[in-house]
Amino acid sequence: MFKYELKKIFFRTGSIIAMGILLLLIGLVCWFATDVYYVDRNGVKQRGPSAVAKLRAEQKAWAGYLDEKKLRRVIAENKKIKSSPEYQSENETDREIAYSRGQGFEDIRTLLNKSFAREFREYDYYRADRLSEESALRFYENRVKLLKEWLEGEANEQYSDGEKAFFISRYEDIETPFYYDYATGWSRLFEYAPTLVMVMLLVLGYLVSGIFSNEFSWKADAVFFSSYYGRNRATAAKIAAGFCVVTGVYLTAMLIYSAVVLLYLGADGWSCPVQILFSGWKSFYNIAVWQEYLLIWAGGYVGCLFIAFLGMWVSAKTKSAVLAVTVPFVLIFIPSFLGNIRFSLVGKILGLLPDQLLQMGNVVGYFNVYSFGGKVVGAAPVLLVVYAALIIPLAPGMYRGFRHMEIG
Amino acid sequence: MELAVTDITKRFRDMTAVDRVSCRMTKGVYGLLGVNGAGKTTLMRMLCTLLHPTEGGITWDGEDIFAMDGSYRRILGYLPQEFGYYPEFSVHDYLMYIASIKGLRPAAARRRAGQLLETVGLSGSERKKMKKLSGGMKRRVGIAQAMLNDPKILVLDEPTAGLDPNERIRFRNLISELAGERLILLSTHIVSDVEYIAREILLMRGGKICAAGTTEELIEAMPARVWRVPAAKDQAGSFMKSYKTANMKAVRDGVELRLLSEKRPAEEAAEESATLEDLFLYYFGEKAGEGNV
Repeated sequence: MFKYELKKIFFRTGSIIAMGILLLLIGLVCWFATDVYYVDRNGVKQRGPSAVAKLRAEQKAWAGYLDEKKLRRVIAENKKIKSSPEYQSENETDREIAYSRGQGFEDIRTLLNKSFAREFREYDYYRADRLSEESALRFYENRVKLLKEWLEGEANEQYSDGEKAFFISRYEDIETPFYYDYATGWSRLFEYAPTLVMVMLLVLGYLVSGIFSNEFSWKADAVFFSSYYGRNRATAAKIAAGFCVVTGVYLTAMLIYSAVVLLYLGADGWSCPVQILFSGWKSFYNIAVWQEYLLIWAGGYVGCLFIAFLGMWVSAKTKSAVLAVTVPFVLIFIPSFLGNIRFSLVGKILGLLPDQLLQMGNVVGYFNVYSFGGKVVGAAPVLLVVYAALIIPLAPGMYRGFRHMEIG
Repeated sequence: MELAVTDITKRFRDMTAVDRVSCRMTKGVYGLLGVNGAGKTTLMRMLCTLLHPTEGGITWDGEDIFAMDGSYRRILGYLPQEFGYYPEFSVHDYLMYIASIKGLRPAAARRRAGQLLETVGLSGSERKKMKKLSGGMKRRVGIAQAMLNDPKILVLDEPTAGLDPNERIRFRNLISELAGERLILLSTHIVSDVEYIAREILLMRGGKICAAGTTEELIEAMPARVWRVPAAKDQAGSFMKSYKTANMKAVRDGVELRLLSEKRPAEEAAEESATLEDLFLYYFGEKAGEGNV
């Protein structure tokens, strides 16, 4: 009966269209994520596999620990480029030529911009250009200093002393110097993952919305519930089908996406700390890139499963596929309407909404923490545990709700 | 083998759909006759465990059917009035799915589905999509699905609704064929569906069983007698106002009316044998003409 439940889901015209849209969007997201360019020494932008190979080779040349010596070299090289006639020129091609000389250490230059910003939340693209080689000494020290200034100033009211101490200790505990490697594959993968996961959730929400309610809209409920397994195994088969659809579609889409991006751009840099990525510099999660990748996978999966199950539960309770299909929309879009309130009480609540699971890469960069009996925990593990735990009662909830349905 | 309904009532808020109904059924065909809204479907849904009675109980061989749960549904086949299906499924897929939720193993299900499709005259239509079938074909698939588990109790709710006269006759014969060693409860508002095949007929009105018995017993017990009355055309209206009229036929010098009356309605009236249709008219009055009788 499980096989036929899957047939009921996938044989609908709407489902075929939804799967087509998902495939198209996977293609588009892969295309955007892999669209990187390399500027050759003549200032000409190149795209395609050979451009990726050249960019990778240039960035790999800077791989290694970001110690004082390396940072001094970056600052010096950058200075040299910025004082070159090509960089000073008004001519677009000349400026591209200047850029091409520094693209090997462009990521490190970005980290310098972040470390030497005047304020914690500021980003000045030209900050690195004004640094002296001696500044390299303060690269890691500045990271902690800016955090402390921010916690005592702008964010003073938003965190308890315990939470502030937690952030500072996480910043101080991180192992330095950071190991840097070419990690464009991962950074691009992380950048577009939330888009893919959200689109996937909408498709999954549609696919599973009718698992229960279609029995009523097709008027097949009377035969279903009057059959031997109608109120037990056949109902369980529906839940199993929903679970397998979410798992199968999610795993397949994420595997395709990851494989395309990482095979094309390379998986180098997997063991580097997330702080070497543009989005991860400020993160208080002292984890490696591969761990963030796992968090994104796990968050997306738990989020999709939770929201899809919630939709199925609504479908089982209300007999309405329309209401069920609106669940993902509400849970994704309502928090975005409420704005980017990240640090107040509302922000704390918003930080625990299931939409956060779909963008775990961003959560890793947010300063959302929760205190439990004096112990401070980051939002990422809280989200994973809370929603994984909430999924557990949803399955028996649907089962009970549907199997006791009366057909009047 | 006895299905016993004892004083069951079903209320939906302030509306009583079934009101203290009691009956006992063993094997054979039972016809549940009544106009639309009489409570037939609600009664059948309770017999199929789709609805719980507000009061009263239903037992199968002395055991409460709701307590029996799956073991009761295992011996049950049901064709609802509004027979729903999965539009994108082929006939084969549909029957295999229903067989699976009825607990049949795939090999047995394949065999049984093949036999039943032959019985209902649908061999060769296995690969057709359910949504492409005609109304009559869908009903025949409906009967096949109800029979998949070779049920001891077969509940058919208005199985001939929407069928043309030929299909209705074919359906009636099919039900007779299937009767054998099982209990078939067939609800209808079409007298001819059950007149010749039912072992017993239950007449339902306003949520109650107002009469029950064999066709002969019911006719015998009908308080009114049937009269053939020749009358002038201008007298017809007056007769029709005063008596339940089963039929009016134009003849050479006026009309001939078939009236139900306890007493002789006119001197020239001649008594005739009553039929089930007269009985239906007696109990259900003007409403008896509703639907596709």
